[in-house]
Amino acid sequence: MESGIFQTTYQKDMALRRTPAQFIRLGVLLAFVLVFPFFADNYWLTLANQIGIAAVGAIGLNILVGYTGQISLGQGAFLGVGAYATGILVKQMGAPWPLAVVAACFITALVGMLFGIPALRLKGLYLAIATLAAQEIIEWVIIHSPDLTGGVEAMVIPAPTLFGQRINSDFRFYWVILVCLILTIILTTNLFRTRTGRAFIAIRDQDIAASVMGVNLFRYKLLAFAVSSFFVGLAGALTAEYRTIISWERFTLDTSILYLAMIIIGGLGSVTGAVMGAAFMTLLPAMLQLLGRTAGGFMPNILQQIPFLQQAFFGLVIILFLVFEPEGLARMWRNIKDYFRLWPFSY
Amino acid sequence: MFRRLTVWWIVAVALALLTAACSSAPATPAAPAQAPAAQQPTQAPAAQQTAAPKTEAAKATEPAKAAAAAPAAGKATGEPIKIGGIFDLTGATGDVGTPYAKGVQHYVEWKNNNGGINGRPIQLIGQDYGYKVPNAEQLYSQYTTQDKVLAIQGWGTADTEALRPKISEDKIPYMSASYSINLANPKETPYNFLVGTTYSEQLQAAMQWMLQDWKAKGKTGVPKIAYLHSNSGFGLSPLDDGDKFATSNGMEKGLRIPMLAATADMTAQLTQAQQYGADYIFIQNTSGAGATALKAAKSLGMLPKVQVVCLNWCTDDLTVKLAGEAAEGLVGASPFAFPDSSAAGMKDMAEFAKSKGTTIEAEGLHYAQGWTTMAVMAEGLKRALDAGKPLSGENLKTALETMKDFDTGGVTTKLTFTPDDHRGSKALRLYQVKGGKWTPMTDYIQTNLSIAK
Repeated sequence: MESGIFQTTYQKDMALRRTPAQFIRLGVLLAFVLVFPFFADNYWLTLANQIGIAAVGAIGLNILVGYTGQISLGQGAFLGVGAYATGILVKQMGAPWPLAVVAACFITALVGMLFGIPALRLKGLYLAIATLAAQEIIEWVIIHSPDLTGGVEAMVIPAPTLFGQRINSDFRFYWVILVCLILTIILTTNLFRTRTGRAFIAIRDQDIAASVMGVNLFRYKLLAFAVSSFFVGLAGALTAEYRTIISWERFTLDTSILYLAMIIIGGLGSVTGAVMGAAFMTLLPAMLQLLGRTAGGFMPNILQQIPFLQQAFFGLVIILFLVFEPEGLARMWRNIKDYFRLWPFSY
Repeated sequence: MFRRLTVWWIVAVALALLTAACSSAPATPAAPAQAPAAQQPTQAPAAQQTAAPKTEAAKATEPAKAAAAAPAAGKATGEPIKIGGIFDLTGATGDVGTPYAKGVQHYVEWKNNNGGINGRPIQLIGQDYGYKVPNAEQLYSQYTTQDKVLAIQGWGTADTEALRPKISEDKIPYMSASYSINLANPKETPYNFLVGTTYSEQLQAAMQWMLQDWKAKGKTGVPKIAYLHSNSGFGLSPLDDGDKFATSNGMEKGLRIPMLAATADMTAQLTQAQQYGADYIFIQNTSGAGATALKAAKSLGMLPKVQVVCLNWCTDDLTVKLAGEAAEGLVGASPFAFPDSSAAGMKDMAEFAKSKGTTIEAEGLHYAQGWTTMAVMAEGLKRALDAGKPLSGENLKTALETMKDFDTGGVTTKLTFTPDDHRGSKALRLYQVKGGKWTPMTDYIQTNLSIAK
């Protein structure tokens, strides 16, 4: 019977996982993601891959919005930069794809930094509009550079190969995405145990106080944009390699809003939350689609309404979360854990 | 604390139940049949239920049997043949995409009521993709990996061109409503088939007429041309070939003016054409955008001094209806006959449309276009089954390539596919709007542009 979690050394207090239960849960989760693809059919594998890519992107966005408090509506465009950078490097310059993916991450980080410059002077709503401009500018550049990006026509790249194998099935790509996601999670979780990460959080909580404490605002805000865009670029590059068809229509403002919804629903300022939000927002439309298909048997017209119902549902879910659990799925998960730890003597 | 959690527990349980209820759906083979826009094949449900689960294994052995037992007419009851449908109902080209999709669906329903393909019904699994490449790609992989369709009825240029490598790799015969010349060469795109005449050939034929018209008007020198095009793969598709024709006839390359999807008013675009001094304007876009452009041209006083020419997607009654007087004198290039042309091929669809409470005149030319495209695919399926081979993408492709002078009953000229050329139709007609009605201006013009790169 325990009444709480207590540590006896600072080292233990700093550890990422402090209770045996946490290690067991991690083990179960790891076992699940390793075994899952061998049992899942194509449909669930496709969903898993979409979730994986979205999770990398959502973690990236959460570094900027959730941890550093700098709102961004340019997510879609930054994903596009990552995807098109990969496409151009692979197709026009013949670079090997792993190199192209890494290069795309750095390119997106640079572009993100460039558009992050206004963040020094702008906050809140004003910054939102400035990043909206980034979204529009990048989209415009993509559409109006037909020689480089294919313009309004989609860019098609060959499926990636690894050890002589073409990674052209969901099963094979699952492993690529899994490795990238795990790396992203480890790097991000540890980022917030360093000075840099703590500086980000200080800026979010009170930027003036942070600067008084010796945090160079300009430097760290730009760094936040760069680190965030780096992972967003990775998500974009993975999208390009996974889909092999790169089209600007995938990287519009709608995408930016969708990613913001992911981190709001998942939990701002939480890596677990970003992953949960990505899973939730990917599964929701898929489940609605399935429900529609099932219901289509007795209500044939419902399927045509699905796209519209989906929009309404997204809205409803976001409102419900903001009202009942503004801290998102991550907080819900924590509440459930606390409830059971103290069960049946919770107060 | 506790109360709060209880609320979430209820939500979680409800979600879990929902998920459980839904996840059983893909396991039921009948579920995809209820797919959205697609009309459910109206065969006896019991027969489908028993036949569908053994689809894969049965494919190899049964077709010959099914062919032998084929009833001449009546409802088809055999093992369904799955065809995917990627339609645009709500996107930028939804104005013409909706009647086209309806035509495809109605043909399937009609065919299934009349014996299907040698007794086997066609099961069309169709969905709207909103004219967005990512959606088309998503639907494509859903159809090929989950629904395991044999062939696909597609729509747009940008999406079909983007899917080219996958189509060739997966061996999925793909008939889209995009008549881009990039899809016509079987050496590059062995599984794409075009029923209409390519946009490039439509544009060149229209330009050929333009040169005659220019002389007939007694003008000297060469005309100046502008293209008003959809800002998409579709809009850009014929422009390079148009420019080739122009420069080889001593003209300047055409001025390219993209029409942005969101523009409700095209005055800016038409002013640009006016300032350039265009004598002929070629529109490569759908009816809605075409009509908006015509109205703007009229209000700028450009008509009838400037001649506007539509390629096939705005050569329809919808354009005339939307543009009103501004459409007078408009020239259009189309490989398809109009519903009021009393072509013999229109009879079945007219009767079926009537039974559905509509008419082909109301649905328009694109309805007939969708119907005919599906009819061509059905003919390929029949040929593949008649050859006694198991139904596969490869065999359907081979069967389609044996089609020589296939008669569409005057909806198009006779269609021929060969292993070296996947353009079914190589002829088109020019029409002109006179007194608010499209009237034929020429007989069918034969075209044959080289498809080799």
